[in-house]
Amino acid sequence: MASELPIEAPTAALNAIIRGSTAPAAIKEDLAGFLRAQGVDGADLDAMVAVGAERMLVYRSLVHNRMRNAARDYIPRTVARLGRARFIADFTAFMDEQGARSHYLRDVPAEIVEFFVARWQADPDVPGYIPDLARHELLDADVRNDWRGGEAETGLPLALDRPLRFDGATRLVNYGHPVHTLPRELDDRTVPPAEPTPLLVYRDEQHRPRYLALTTFAAAVLHELIDNGLPVQGALVAAAQALGESLDDDKLGSAALLFADLAERGVCLGAEPTTES
Amino acid sequence: MSMLHEIQRTRAVPTGIGLGLRARFRNEVARGDADGVPAFIELSPENYMHRGGRSPVQLEQIADRFPIISHGLMMSLGSTDPFDDEYFDYLRGFLDRYDPPWHSDHVCWSGLDGALLHDLLPVPFTTPVAERIAGRVREARDRLERPMAIENISWYAKLGHSQMDEPQFLCEVLERADCGLLLDVNNIFVNAQNHGFDPQRWLEAIPLDRVLQLHVAGHEPWDETLLVDTHGATVRDEVYDLMAWVIERTGPRPVLLERDTNIPPLPELLDEIRRLDGVYQSAVGRWQAATSQADPARSQVDAAPSKGHSDGQ
Repeated sequence: MASELPIEAPTAALNAIIRGSTAPAAIKEDLAGFLRAQGVDGADLDAMVAVGAERMLVYRSLVHNRMRNAARDYIPRTVARLGRARFIADFTAFMDEQGARSHYLRDVPAEIVEFFVARWQADPDVPGYIPDLARHELLDADVRNDWRGGEAETGLPLALDRPLRFDGATRLVNYGHPVHTLPRELDDRTVPPAEPTPLLVYRDEQHRPRYLALTTFAAAVLHELIDNGLPVQGALVAAAQALGESLDDDKLGSAALLFADLAERGVCLGAEPTTES
Repeated sequence: MSMLHEIQRTRAVPTGIGLGLRARFRNEVARGDADGVPAFIELSPENYMHRGGRSPVQLEQIADRFPIISHGLMMSLGSTDPFDDEYFDYLRGFLDRYDPPWHSDHVCWSGLDGALLHDLLPVPFTTPVAERIAGRVREARDRLERPMAIENISWYAKLGHSQMDEPQFLCEVLERADCGLLLDVNNIFVNAQNHGFDPQRWLEAIPLDRVLQLHVAGHEPWDETLLVDTHGATVRDEVYDLMAWVIERTGPRPVLLERDTNIPPLPELLDEIRRLDGVYQSAVGRWQAATSQADPARSQVDAAPSKGHSDGQ
């Protein structure tokens, strides 16, 4: 939320030194000129010029190091493949153009990655699987720390005319590359093929993230159930239609097995109660 | 009467040496590996608020084992950005659950114009800024319905022309906000080294009756001319001495050992707590001796207990 009251010029100037992408070069060249452009004058200007550019830049380093390291810790394989120089350049742009919005440092890497993804997708030099890999690396902490999850079962059996309730920490993701199969070593450079890769991610009883690879039909059904909140029957029909396939016995049988498996894993919590109950 | 004693009328306050909880050793503390050593555990709510999974389960286990003190990171008291309602709602819920005797945050800004920088940035030492911070401390206290304390930070550059020195500035905020002081003696030492002043003179200018808690930590050199408060090393003897100087004058207080980087195995941290406790107990002993000469009844009341939960008086 933006300030409603004006901030004193020295504080605004330090903010600009920390965030601005061209600030380091500018203040090394002409600290007084930079500060004047930020509205600093008189005794404030004299005091800040006396401090010097190098000392002001300590704050920039401290802030950038903390936030950039937090992001790197969450997406180490993406950073290794992208290269340190590119990562630092992208992070510098993030600080300049957007900055973090969350009060929780653990949520800042996701903000940074979403900013990065827009830049990467517009850059032909960045391999197409990199956004998927970054999002996949983030997913582990996202599911592990989600404030939702662990809700009670509804106690109602599956019914065709009702939606299903899922554990709140469950995620349905669709990657364009099977990045979840990549080796975990930082120096690995295997390039995954481009292919639809739907996964269901949930938190188990030990609070660990678990990943389930889904068939195309299972992914379509779960999309209708989780994302669109359709009743079971409607979800099955919509999924088959979306794939241009008929809803035959094989599909119904596979759906029944899927629901049973998800119930056993604690992902599916039962049928949603009606609003009257 | 000190501010601590006022709070102790209605709230339990642990005294002695406590430990700041970090993810690195949270499992061990939750399962009892630290039992009997720290007098309390300090939590930073931002690390746990609005978070599910294993951490809330472990916090419950830890809260069953230790008294809890709360120390925030992101209230950004020096900013002009309005307080975030959602942040305060979650913070209030967290504090209501763990019921620490107060909540503290830093005399700094951590974000501006909606962009959060996740660091403790210095404020100009001027009357308008002191007024602004004091107003925000009062607003925080009202929103949280809990006593507030402010912590002095390490600052590496004066931000503009100062109308006063840091102790004068802190006094002005403390008086205007009528709040407590979380006195970080490592920050005093670091600032004294970086800016060339006598830390004891600094302490003599502070209203010790407002001190609710102390922080001790280690620091590291940034370069040949600058120390940085990294919480990445063992506590230096000079910082022990500053802590003892204060306790000798205030009597028992909660004193927290902070460690955020280069975190050693938990047994080593517990050994450091024991060493700190030895210095602390000696200081409490000197305070008791001095106080009993002046007022024998008061020293017996104030001194107990030096570890664990105090039930208030």
